[in-house]
Amino acid sequence: MNAARKIGLNLEWLSDCGGCHVAIVDVHEKILDILGAVQIQHCPVLTDIKDYPHADIGIVSGAIRTEHDRHVAQEMRASCDKVIAWGTCAIYGGIPGAALAHSREEILQAVYTRNPTTRTNEAPHSQVALLEKQVIPLDEVIGVDMYLPGCPPHAAFIFDALLALVEGRAPKARQETVCARCTRSMKKSEETRLKSNHDGIPDPDLCLLSQGYVCLGSVTLDRCLSPCPSQGVMCTGCAGPTMQILTEPNRDLRTEVADRMSRLTAIPREEIVASMERSGKSHYAYAMASKMVGEKPTFLIRKWIAEVEEEA
Amino acid sequence: MRMEIHEQACRGCRMCVEICPTKVLTFDEEACLAKVGKVEDCIACLSCTYLCPSGAIHQEDYPRVKNFYRDLEFCGRMEKFL
Repeated sequence: MNAARKIGLNLEWLSDCGGCHVAIVDVHEKILDILGAVQIQHCPVLTDIKDYPHADIGIVSGAIRTEHDRHVAQEMRASCDKVIAWGTCAIYGGIPGAALAHSREEILQAVYTRNPTTRTNEAPHSQVALLEKQVIPLDEVIGVDMYLPGCPPHAAFIFDALLALVEGRAPKARQETVCARCTRSMKKSEETRLKSNHDGIPDPDLCLLSQGYVCLGSVTLDRCLSPCPSQGVMCTGCAGPTMQILTEPNRDLRTEVADRMSRLTAIPREEIVASMERSGKSHYAYAMASKMVGEKPTFLIRKWIAEVEEEA
Repeated sequence: MRMEIHEQACRGCRMCVEICPTKVLTFDEEACLAKVGKVEDCIACLSCTYLCPSGAIHQEDYPRVKNFYRDLEFCGRMEKFL
């Protein structure tokens, strides 16, 4: 490669909130270090290029929700040498992936026909891209070379990932969990009651698990620098599960949290598991569309939905 | 074999110290951190590594037991995580 040639970068945005693209700007002035070596080409929020010029690196955020998303993902694969699945939606389906708990018809009804703020009686048939049967993570449609989870990934990880690519080295990211960056101390307590997030004000120095709050920090990969638990908000698992949950079929979010929490408090393990199962859609929201979680023998949301539908 | 605990990541919960079957790990009361004691006693069951809420414990050069139930496709994908 000619040393003067800049690395071509295409960015694309599928079914997501747009936060992953905004997060790139969160790199602030450090982005200048990257822009010296990179030429941004196709990028819906920065450039007015509609086609897909050839690029060395393609960054794709968002899941495949519509037929248009699928088309765009394929265009990105064809035009980019390396494709990075950028953010939780692209890797696991993310929040849109929680639509797995509903049928396509239910979603169309909620958005169009039963939407209290519109007067439409039917879902549009033209001009809007048709919905895929369900939300699909990027790597089930196109080949993906690298993954950067996070909702969105913190600018520190983005900067290191981009710089690593520019410099051709391995990124420094560790495979630690959100607990690793949390500022609370994890001490044993006599707590006997599970609390919900609106139950009192948590002690600012003590681990949320020790206080009876179900925090997913210990089962979530750290790509955020732990802002939520450090500020008193329980981790909801937005960067997706840890490597041990992804690779070991019988380890699961609810059992791992319950295991640790029951060692820290006087709350029985079974009670924690049962409570997390009752709010399963919230706890599994970010990753349930991915086969990595959806096909685990411990993932029972599909079974529970089928049981409810049978009863109805 | 080598074993390390990432100090900044340790939350001081003592779970690793308690679960270790061969008492490899000790607890520094003053710093409120788990420490590696007799690493030569480690049988590489990895109980501490799996239980650690932070994922702060790392082993190297330990005798590997092959996990027949691991999903190789997903394990391969893990290597691509930035």
